[in-house]
Amino acid sequence: MQPSTVTNLATRLPSSRRPRVARTGAARHTGTAYLFLAPFLVLFTVFVVAPSIFGLWISVTDWSPFKDTQNFIGLQNYIDLFTPGSITFGDFWQSMGATGIFTVLSVPCLLIIPLFIAILLNNNIRGGTAFRAIFFAPYVLGVAVIGVIWKYLLDTQSGMLNHILGMLGLPSDIPWTVDVPWAWVSLVIVTVWWTLGFNAVILLAGLKAINPDLYEAAALDGAGMFRKFWSVTLPGLRPVMLFVSTTTILASANMFGQSYILTKGGPANTTRTAIMYISDQGLSQNNMAPAAAMSYILFAFLAVISVINFRLQREKTE
Amino acid sequence: MKKGIARRAVAATLALGVGIALAGCSGGGAGAGGNAVPGEDYTGPKVSITFWNGWTGGAAPVLVPKLVEKFNSEHDNIEVKNVPQEWGDISKKMPLAVKAGKGPDVAVAHGDDVATYAAQGLLLPADDIVDALGYSADDFPEGLMDAGAYKGAQYGIPWSVTPMGLYVNNDVLKSAGIDPATVPTDKDGYMKALEALKAAGISGEWVDGYVFTGTFEFESLLWQFGGDLYNDDVTEATFNSDAGVQALTHMVDLIDKGYSPPNVAQDGNIKGLLAGQTAYNWNGVWQTTNESFNEIDWTVAPVPQIGTEQAVWSSSTHWMFMNNKGQDKNKTAAAATFVKWMNENSAGWAETGELPAANDVRNDPALVETYPNLKPFIDSLPYAHYETSAPGITAANALITTALNEAVTGKKEPKEALDDAAKQANEILKQNAAKYGD
Repeated sequence: MQPSTVTNLATRLPSSRRPRVARTGAARHTGTAYLFLAPFLVLFTVFVVAPSIFGLWISVTDWSPFKDTQNFIGLQNYIDLFTPGSITFGDFWQSMGATGIFTVLSVPCLLIIPLFIAILLNNNIRGGTAFRAIFFAPYVLGVAVIGVIWKYLLDTQSGMLNHILGMLGLPSDIPWTVDVPWAWVSLVIVTVWWTLGFNAVILLAGLKAINPDLYEAAALDGAGMFRKFWSVTLPGLRPVMLFVSTTTILASANMFGQSYILTKGGPANTTRTAIMYISDQGLSQNNMAPAAAMSYILFAFLAVISVINFRLQREKTE
Repeated sequence: MKKGIARRAVAATLALGVGIALAGCSGGGAGAGGNAVPGEDYTGPKVSITFWNGWTGGAAPVLVPKLVEKFNSEHDNIEVKNVPQEWGDISKKMPLAVKAGKGPDVAVAHGDDVATYAAQGLLLPADDIVDALGYSADDFPEGLMDAGAYKGAQYGIPWSVTPMGLYVNNDVLKSAGIDPATVPTDKDGYMKALEALKAAGISGEWVDGYVFTGTFEFESLLWQFGGDLYNDDVTEATFNSDAGVQALTHMVDLIDKGYSPPNVAQDGNIKGLLAGQTAYNWNGVWQTTNESFNEIDWTVAPVPQIGTEQAVWSSSTHWMFMNNKGQDKNKTAAAATFVKWMNENSAGWAETGELPAANDVRNDPALVETYPNLKPFIDSLPYAHYETSAPGITAANALITTALNEAVTGKKEPKEALDDAAKQANEILKQNAAKYGD
């Protein structure tokens, strides 16, 4: 996904902006570049490109690990996914909807809150480094670890969160992981707590790269704090924001572990995300072919969203 | 399940050690090599056999290597290599490994996976081995051999069973003025106790809507009301029968009538029991090894009879002989010797919180003396029901949990939830028939 969108961006750059290099020099440079890229390219080809192509092939067959021959069945797997009443239609689109809900709820939080924290950390406050480490710390934990921790905290009857709410005189029986909408709230809170440090650190680096002269000039022109944020900080962060928003959207759309551990996809299958459903179909139930088709549909959605994201943010820059 | 995995890992480890010891002693010896597995120990040339299992946690990772080492030291011509790994990894790897001739010679699986493997041609029919080892259905709890059979052939040899029981926090009962000495065995007694607890402000049993352990409780109740999960040839879901509706309605009523709080999270009830917040929890025998129980005054009893007959859910694990491409008959024969030895030496397996399947071993009075908490579970085996044996059945079973979850969270009425789930399960059964062949 990212490589393709990056290519897309590169090809759309006006040719005049491409560095001009002498032909022979270019060839030599290209050769060296490929040499340096080779180790990554080999891994990328073996573990990403080849499986992707194989997956595309699987998705147009009735591929089954239990049969010796696999038959080409054209787009039947895709047609089934768009045919109401088929065995996968309801569950698949419900899981796509769940992924959509989670992405829409979590991405704004994962952009705004880290930005706010990055701005605070950028203010040379006392112990800034310590705070930066504290905000980043959860990110180094695996999803299984944070899942188990939050399962204890969010338990309906014996969880610490409900206990504290009760002490404050608030409702103490909120089904944080058992019923909607609370399950969504929990999943978003846990995800934000877990990954905001990464986005905050990247945005902080972006803030530090903004020329302080710009703030000084803005101040001389009489800009207040809000105006400086709007006219200097945000434009200065755009390249970084493009990266952060793209990776955050993709990460949220690929959410699996949090709901797998915290809510078990429940209540019923409300919080079962697309990745959960695809892995269940493909790996647990051995319905590899429909699962591959589902993966490609999810891929198509994410590709379109990424391209839109890139265009929107690039136009702002120009 | 997590504990089960651990146990399996242990067993695997034990098996490995045994194999290594055997290898050390191997001599020449003419190959026995016949088709049938000899009833006596394998006498052929020295072989090394691979043993896969999912025993990666609990007491098993210590216990299994010991057992395997002991086996290997007692058998000069067999070396068992123990390969523990996650259960999920095993089921993903097994088809390709066996078809490439690189799978294990012997493996352990849960009862609901045996038929799935068998339908894929990954297993050797074990009828001859069962005969040669002198096993019959009477050597195991009733119905357990069938739990490892598929289409009239035996594929799994029983290793362990893990039924459900009623865990009781005695301190909570006392605080409600109930004498903990008598544990309710029928619906009247159970509901009276719950009523008394409710009067004391305690929710007596917390009902959850997850596999662990709400689904196991629902299935126990379904059988108690005379129902079954599927029809005989597993072509149709029957868990939405009247019995199923009664079972699920009982569980939802516990919530509606205030005997259970709503919205119990997974494992919330066992945590509540251990924290002294609730009195009863329907849970598996594996909880007997939960060290947190040392902190409370507790007992465990057979689950009460809520329906019209006695019944309780149980899982099981089985030995399987793998049908690798070019499988060496000597290795399979050696594996049979290993399986028999393991079952004969399975008394220590109770350490992992599972019951040894072999009646001789399990019914030895010494076992209950060492592990008194296992007695109620052993007593309930005569009416235990095991998981359905059909290929791909776990996909259909998942819908039972969906229905349970919908009902206990109030999304659907019990009947509606079960009917919807059964309809979808029937689709999956049809799909399975096409996928695995009839």
